[in-house]
Amino acid sequence: MTAMSAMGDDLAFLSAAGLARLVRLRQFSPVDLVNMYLARIERLDKSLGAFISVCAEEARAAAREAERALTRGGKGGPLHGVPFAVKDQFDAAGMPTTAGSRVLADNVAAADATVVARLKAAGAILVGKLNMSEFALGGTVDFPFGQPRNPWKLDRHPGGSSGGSGVAAAAALSAFALGEDTGGSIRGPAAYCGVVGIRATWGRVSRHGCVPASWSLDVAGPLARTVEDCAMVLGVIAGEDPADPLTSRQPVPDYRAALTGDVRGLRIGVVQELMDGGTTPEVRAAVEAAAGRLRGLGAVVEPVSLPTLPLAGAAFMAVCDPEAAASHQRWLRERPQDYDRATRRRLYTASLLPAVLHHQATRARARIRREVLDALGRHDLLLSPAASIPAPPIAREAEPVTSKEVAAKRFFGHRSHSTPASLAGVPALSVPCGFSSEGLPLGMQLAGRPFDEATVLRAAHAYEQATDWHTRRPPLS
Amino acid sequence: MSTRADLTEAEVRALGATLGLAIAPDDLTEVTHRLNAFVDALAPLADLPAGGPEPVPAPVDPDRAG
Repeated sequence: MTAMSAMGDDLAFLSAAGLARLVRLRQFSPVDLVNMYLARIERLDKSLGAFISVCAEEARAAAREAERALTRGGKGGPLHGVPFAVKDQFDAAGMPTTAGSRVLADNVAAADATVVARLKAAGAILVGKLNMSEFALGGTVDFPFGQPRNPWKLDRHPGGSSGGSGVAAAAALSAFALGEDTGGSIRGPAAYCGVVGIRATWGRVSRHGCVPASWSLDVAGPLARTVEDCAMVLGVIAGEDPADPLTSRQPVPDYRAALTGDVRGLRIGVVQELMDGGTTPEVRAAVEAAAGRLRGLGAVVEPVSLPTLPLAGAAFMAVCDPEAAASHQRWLRERPQDYDRATRRRLYTASLLPAVLHHQATRARARIRREVLDALGRHDLLLSPAASIPAPPIAREAEPVTSKEVAAKRFFGHRSHSTPASLAGVPALSVPCGFSSEGLPLGMQLAGRPFDEATVLRAAHAYEQATDWHTRRPPLS
Repeated sequence: MSTRADLTEAEVRALGATLGLAIAPDDLTEVTHRLNAFVDALAPLADLPAGGPEPVPAPVDPDRAG
């Protein structure tokens, strides 16, 4: 029996940091790891629907090259030999970038997105591209490349839009995954699938080679099984990119070095508007317990009120959707039938929204940002549920919209937990904080000051290490 | 209290035509409901106090300001 078969699933569920360590120590070959994840994808993804495309031969070739580099005595980058997968919103040279849409089914990328190139330069090996809500907008009814399913319960949604990324990380179909967060598209899948996901400060990570959802909101980021992995991957992909003029020149710190486990004296505000307003009792109880745990670790935890937050969901949609619709006008005119009907109807609606309302939403956004930043002047972090409910059933989204009232309830009736951080442009992370009575994961959101991802990661890591939620695995067969 | 009348399907179809969007009958009812609900949902934004910070889309990196 090889060491690999003896470890079985344990190896697949090991953290990316742990796998990188084992590769460095020559305990396992990059070829072994790539083959292991490819075998898991082959075995499990028919029911999970996480992948749109798998680049098995290219991954094996890259793994052999990584192995040869080690044999030559090379040290490799921090992710040397570690397999990863990327949301199909990011270009990978020679592979289609579909953005989850039939519209781009034949769109083959000529070059890697900057984030993909940086991960490859750090030694990571791409195994495939991940399913997503169409054009990262959420609400897709008919997924053209198959319905992604939550590995904890296959009839539940994995979250969107980076659903495949959440599934791949949770089901250990890769060591980690890359997603993109516009209004919660990393944090939502992370919460629903029971993994860690971080959206960095807007401008912290390059979007070059990423199909945009909403230019003023999009941020790329990792989804992984541990906070340390998110810290490591973010450290690789963050930083100025001449190809994306909106990236920041702020230096990127060593995020892993920030994971000290010490949160003593850290001031954490619990956002009352997000603890109420539709949050289910068991989600609220889990987040309150998590706040208590952080208090037990020495943080100063106290309530904070952000009164404009109840308007965040509507303001977000009035900012995001017209930005998205503007870039879809030609395809909406020429190829409307190639869109999922929910996406098409959402984009039509956004196309017709009066410009005055869009501008009023940008003013509301500025007010929400001011409130968030003022609160972050008094607190180091803001804590809330990452989502108000556990993963919902998949079928619910397919029901017809028969009246304005139904539309209002469906699309505008829920308080948004993730969009305030998006509108404010601040870093925010979801970390597992419990399970529902049905056995579904729950996520806690921590948001921090602009460019202070290190404190967000430090607190999340300290909490993670004080609990065992992240060690649980979905019931895969 | 808003006195705005809801848009009709014919009006929504006409608005779409101004952008060259041929909204199919199968989509028109839902788009109309969505748009009317969207406008209603945004009504509270008009009541926010005037003034305050300018609506720049994100925190401006200090070394890029100006």
